[in-house]
Amino acid sequence: MNDAFPDHPFGTRISRDELTGRLAHATGWEAKNRLLVQLGRDLPDWPADARTDDRLVSGCESRVWLAISRQGSTFALSADSDSRIIKGLLALVLTAFHGRSANEIATFDLEHWIGELGLLRFLSASRGNGLRAIVLKIREIASIQQ
Amino acid sequence: MDSQCPAPFPAGFADTVRSQFPLLQQNPDLVYLDSAASSQKPQYVLDTEQAFYTSSYANVHRGSYALASAATEAFENARTAVAAFLNVASDEIVFTRGTTEAINLVAHSWGSTLRPGDEILVSTLEHHANIVPWQLLAQRSGAVIRPIPLDQAGQIDLAAFHSLLGPRTRLLAITQAANATGTRPPLAAMIAAAHAAGALVLVDGAQGVAHGKPDLAALGADFYAFSGHKLFGPTGIGVLFGRRDLLAHMPPWQGGGEMIASVSFAGSSFAAPPQRFEAGTPPIAQAVGLAAALRWLGTLDADALAAHEAFLHSRLEHGLQQLRGVRILAGNTPRAPITALHFDKAHAFDVAQLLDARQIAVRVGQHCAQPLLAHFGISSSLRISLAAYNTPDDVDRCLAALDETLDILA
Repeated sequence: MNDAFPDHPFGTRISRDELTGRLAHATGWEAKNRLLVQLGRDLPDWPADARTDDRLVSGCESRVWLAISRQGSTFALSADSDSRIIKGLLALVLTAFHGRSANEIATFDLEHWIGELGLLRFLSASRGNGLRAIVLKIREIASIQQ
Repeated sequence: MDSQCPAPFPAGFADTVRSQFPLLQQNPDLVYLDSAASSQKPQYVLDTEQAFYTSSYANVHRGSYALASAATEAFENARTAVAAFLNVASDEIVFTRGTTEAINLVAHSWGSTLRPGDEILVSTLEHHANIVPWQLLAQRSGAVIRPIPLDQAGQIDLAAFHSLLGPRTRLLAITQAANATGTRPPLAAMIAAAHAAGALVLVDGAQGVAHGKPDLAALGADFYAFSGHKLFGPTGIGVLFGRRDLLAHMPPWQGGGEMIASVSFAGSSFAAPPQRFEAGTPPIAQAVGLAAALRWLGTLDADALAAHEAFLHSRLEHGLQQLRGVRILAGNTPRAPITALHFDKAHAFDVAQLLDARQIAVRVGQHCAQPLLAHFGISSSLRISLAAYNTPDDVDRCLAALDETLDILA
């Protein structure tokens, strides 16, 4: 990851297990959304000049920018959005994939985990948001750069 | 709510209406504020469609048996009911899948007469369904799209509109009420000016039709399109009104059964309008359901309905003005009971998510009107739309939830 992207805690200082626990404690749709807002706050905004069109992921209700770079045998991920809740979802995605190998990225069942967290509605067929598009993009880039 | 708000009129109107909508009865905590996307359906419409399927259903127009005659009669009675609703003649009513298909029909059929350099005026208020069919027609024909700009307030810039009218203007494509902001353009003046310039006018009634019976004889539109599903009727049924003398000279746009007079491999001849434009088996039960929706609407006092909608809309916007960082798009234009919001410090998607957590259903995004949102310099807005079955309590719950939601996101 180059200097254009701010350091974030997801996938390193914050683990999947920790987020699984926090989401489990947030009972109800409102509490889960509030937690996503909070996670979104913990994911630093990108500088404006890093939010370039070539990093936009299409198919999302809000704008989502994604950057992936290979660092040795693993991938560094950074992401940003103008929506706080989508940033919260991006925090989950980063936690699952940041610092992982191409094989781990290809085989980790993110959809299953999102379901366990009680957030399946974000993966619905609605045009409403593009969580699926984001995950597909990450897997595609990781497999190409492998 | 402050004292400036008008009193609800008449008392109990919404409760009476609401009691007839089974989905709202089964979900008493749901605040449904997305009727501009699609309205809920009264029991009477559901019962009528069900009864048609269980008692009178067969394919229409070609059966020699009693059941087919009964189905045909119900279908054609629906056409008569739509014609009466719009104050036009039955043979000027073409059934379509919806507003979108009705506009595409005109673009394909009437549009086939356009020549390179002919001009189509399309307003910036339009839904994509009243933009893209004309762009595709322009690509096919060499005609030119001339966009009608808006003024600062978000209303049609009438001076610019008049300057765009000219000898090459063939059509004005204009909404009755913008789906993304609710703005009602000055239709009567625009239609008169377009006619004076020798152009035809197509009015997209998808939003307007739900908030007052359109009198097309008085309005003078040459084409008018609307969808059943926004008017308490079924999905899959829409209406194109076309002036009889125009439809008579328009070629078919889809081929198939129902639309022909005779077929041979040497060539076919086509049925008279409206059947010429209804290839294949039409949405029969949906047409019967739409007629039921019109009958149901006819049971409501039109003045009471208008007063009720105006009261709710005013209560909503009074309340919104108390919230900080909330901007009502085109708030100073005359509007259907639709309110589009932009937030200084929150993304519309986030607000809608948190409202959804409280069972408040609103729509967020670009509302298939990207040129209109671009006019306001924004990429997303939150739209609240009201209908006959909404109550003052719906409005108050929405306002309270918005207030808390904006706090969470601040």
